[in-house]
Amino acid sequence: MFWLLMLVIIYPLFWMVMNSLKTSTELFVNSFALPETPLFSNYVDAWNMGFANFFFNSALVTVVSVFAIVMLSAFCSYALARLEIRFKKIFLYLIIGGLLLSPQSALIALYRLFDMLNIYNTYFAMIIPYIAFGIPFAVFLMYGYFKEFPEDLEDAARIDGCSTFKIFMKIVLPISKPIVAATAIVSSISTWNEFIFALVFIEDENLITIPVGLSRFKDALTTNWTGMMAGIVIASLPMIIAFLFMSKSFIRGLTAGSVKG
Amino acid sequence: MYVIPAVFFVLMFVYFPIGMNFYNSLFKMNSYSDVKTFVGLKHYVNIFQDPIFYTAIKNNVLYAVFSLIFQVGFGMILAILLEGRYVGKKIGSFFRNVLFVPSIISIPAVALLWYFIYNPQMGLLNGLLENIGLGAMKTAWLANPNTAIYSVIMMSQWQYTGYIMILLVVSIQKIPRELYESAEIDGASEFQKAIHITIPSIKSMLVVTSIITIIGAFKLFSEVYIMTGGGPYNTTQVLGTYMYRAAFKFDEMGYGSAVAVVIFIITFAISILQLRSFTDD
Amino acid sequence: MRKMLSVLMLMFFLLSCFAFAEQVNLKFLHRWTQEPDKSFFDGVARAYEKEHPNVKIDVQAVANDAYKEKIKVMLGTEDAPDVFFTWPGEFTNRFIRAGRVLDITNYMLKDGSLFDYVGSQVIPFLYNGALYGLPYRVDGKIFVYNKEIFKKAGIDNPPATFDEFLVDLDKLSKLGIKPIAFGNSEPWAVSHYIAAINQKSVPEEIWEKDLDPAFGMWTDPGYVEALRIYSELVPYFNDYSNALKHDQTKVAFYQGLNAMAYIEIVEIPTIATDAPEGFFDKIGVFPFPATNGPGDQHYLVGYPEGFVVSANSKHPEEATDFLKFLTGKQTGISELKTFGYFNGIKNMISPEEVQPIVYETAKLVMDSDKMVNWLDSSLHAKIWAVYSVELQKLTDQVTTPEKAMEAVIEAAKKVREEFNQ
Repeated sequence: MFWLLMLVIIYPLFWMVMNSLKTSTELFVNSFALPETPLFSNYVDAWNMGFANFFFNSALVTVVSVFAIVMLSAFCSYALARLEIRFKKIFLYLIIGGLLLSPQSALIALYRLFDMLNIYNTYFAMIIPYIAFGIPFAVFLMYGYFKEFPEDLEDAARIDGCSTFKIFMKIVLPISKPIVAATAIVSSISTWNEFIFALVFIEDENLITIPVGLSRFKDALTTNWTGMMAGIVIASLPMIIAFLFMSKSFIRGLTAGSVKG
Repeated sequence: MYVIPAVFFVLMFVYFPIGMNFYNSLFKMNSYSDVKTFVGLKHYVNIFQDPIFYTAIKNNVLYAVFSLIFQVGFGMILAILLEGRYVGKKIGSFFRNVLFVPSIISIPAVALLWYFIYNPQMGLLNGLLENIGLGAMKTAWLANPNTAIYSVIMMSQWQYTGYIMILLVVSIQKIPRELYESAEIDGASEFQKAIHITIPSIKSMLVVTSIITIIGAFKLFSEVYIMTGGGPYNTTQVLGTYMYRAAFKFDEMGYGSAVAVVIFIITFAISILQLRSFTDD
Repeated sequence: MRKMLSVLMLMFFLLSCFAFAEQVNLKFLHRWTQEPDKSFFDGVARAYEKEHPNVKIDVQAVANDAYKEKIKVMLGTEDAPDVFFTWPGEFTNRFIRAGRVLDITNYMLKDGSLFDYVGSQVIPFLYNGALYGLPYRVDGKIFVYNKEIFKKAGIDNPPATFDEFLVDLDKLSKLGIKPIAFGNSEPWAVSHYIAAINQKSVPEEIWEKDLDPAFGMWTDPGYVEALRIYSELVPYFNDYSNALKHDQTKVAFYQGLNAMAYIEIVEIPTIATDAPEGFFDKIGVFPFPATNGPGDQHYLVGYPEGFVVSANSKHPEEATDFLKFLTGKQTGISELKTFGYFNGIKNMISPEEVQPIVYETAKLVMDSDKMVNWLDSSLHAKIWAVYSVELQKLTDQVTTPEKAMEAVIEAAKKVREEFNQ
């Protein structure tokens, strides 16, 4: 039964890779046949469309945003889980409420805001909204984790006279590697694939990220379908590799994070 | 103090647009002109009188229901089976990872893939049906008003069931072995173990995944927009595409903002209800 | 010493003021993200900069679908491009109404450069008697057909009237194929058919008036007749037309599965590269056949694409000058050589320079008294939203022409009310 499921998942992916090596015509004639001659040039062409640059931009934006998301959310959720703060519940609801806004609703308002702040068409125009929209889910994940975290270690440290900050940095954070990895992966996936903000807030050719680069294969009358598929394969690979790499710690992290405590 | 930076970001860049939406929903305006006419709650009145709005809500609800059944329900069954030691560790790991991969691929890619699967002329689905003798069922999956929304929904289940499944797997891994061992001593079957031990122990994760799925169902936009554009005959419209259409195709930012406010209120209400059980536990 | 320094500084300051005062930066936005068009536009910008050293042009491209949203968002702010791409008709008109597009009538009349352009290609850019843009790429919609298949069916010449067309379609069906390749998953495809048929079935003054969202009634019986004519074609389309993309059906046509396809002239050059060997030599073209309707039967569907200048541009003179260059003779010759497209300049093409079929289509366009806009770009978005749904239903044969037009009339009424509040 599982093998059937595997087929359902793997076959479409295989299909995409297979077709990325064909010409557009071959694709429409019979999309399930093997390519006549594998057209690796599709990959070369996709790369030449500027993928090297797209990669760099996507990587830069993702790394910076995810780092900020994880850091800010870690501090925030730890504080909310442990410390006595006034309005704690309000803050919590506020942040998690941030999960509710869909990017399309925010387009115009943010466009005008960024224009006013003069960060339109800069890396910040992507990094800042990614952080803002990424924090709610990250806090959601990490709050549950920290709530469950056994307090003994921290109590011991506090008796020894450590400040909260030190406790967090030296004790809690290192042991929380799993949840941090988990949050990082989840945030990375959504940032890497984000399209709408990267499209509307950026004009400069040099700042274009992968999803926007991919959309350029599609024109009104003719679309370079197989080139686009090659591009998609190139675009998905890093995330897939990163995931497989981190999958061990990822799973452990998500465990501890989301079970309610 | 730890809290402030995060709150600041979210307030500024997430709530500010929400606020702008509330404000803009009271006007008739578009994105490129300076003209702004106050219309009060007129947009909201129009929204509730528009049959397409109700189609959209119906579709969002359908999507939520299917997602709960497949992603959470089926995901849970898969998770239990995978962790129940029916499969070896290595293979189990392999299955887990493969099932997760679709959720990593960006939506335009998945949509493109499924356009070809659903294609009536040379698509995988119709070809398959033909081959197993069910040729009579062939149709234009995305262009047939009876099947279109379900086709989009199933594509999402393909993409995200593995994602939810993994969250549940991870929850199950935390359950102490002893619980199962003592049940085995009492002669419990696998099925009984699952019902009485596994499921109750992952209750909170089930709630979390349900929240995520339902919120996702109401925020839905890209999948529908790319696959069907809301057609055929507006039968696949969801709140997200309905809003987008108003704001960007009809140039009615005000109306679009009003729809955005409605979406926000709906998801907010649902989340509050569910969050309540989450934090009260 | 000090004095010298300050004098020098003053001089430097004054000089630099002059230097910077001369430098003009223009932002130019177009919708061609793929090669070779992308490099082509870069080339045009560089060529212009060479002739005008004080001007620097920042060229940007946004892909077709995203373009429609992005430009709207940009026009609401200070970042609007100086020169940008547009589709003439309602798409541009609403920007004109919002005061975002520059009136270039005087610039073009001043030096008479207006008369370098073919009249029918400039008309689309007029609004309330003033000129707002210039054509970059001329287009037209025609049937491209497979001569071999036609011969096999016993058809020697392409049909000139709609009745002949129906007879021919019947002959072609007898060969066991679906005669017309048609992919309407994006409904602009059907809008091109309806644009042609509407124009032929309804008196000109009426359909022109109806296009104006503030006055459009759409009650003329010619519209219903037009949909009836369209319905006669539907059985000859390939199956599942609403589910297939235009691209896909073109490929079927190249493979010989259909006898003809209704395409834009600008798609013809790609047939040479995309279709199998020798296919290009088998094709011929003919415009939508004449009907018995009251409209002028010599008009051709197909509006040019062009560019306009932003009303808020800080350098309207230079921007308009660049616009003229962009749409002028030099660029036109280059366009023709690179892509096989022609622009709106008079007397661009002579038969020796291009392949026969390109010359044929150019003639068709240039000889038309008037061009008819694609239906989807000429209508108010809300009306088109309803119209396109009805047309899809009609293509699926689940409604009637009368019912379809009823829905359109209803939608038009609502829009009129909005405009006349």
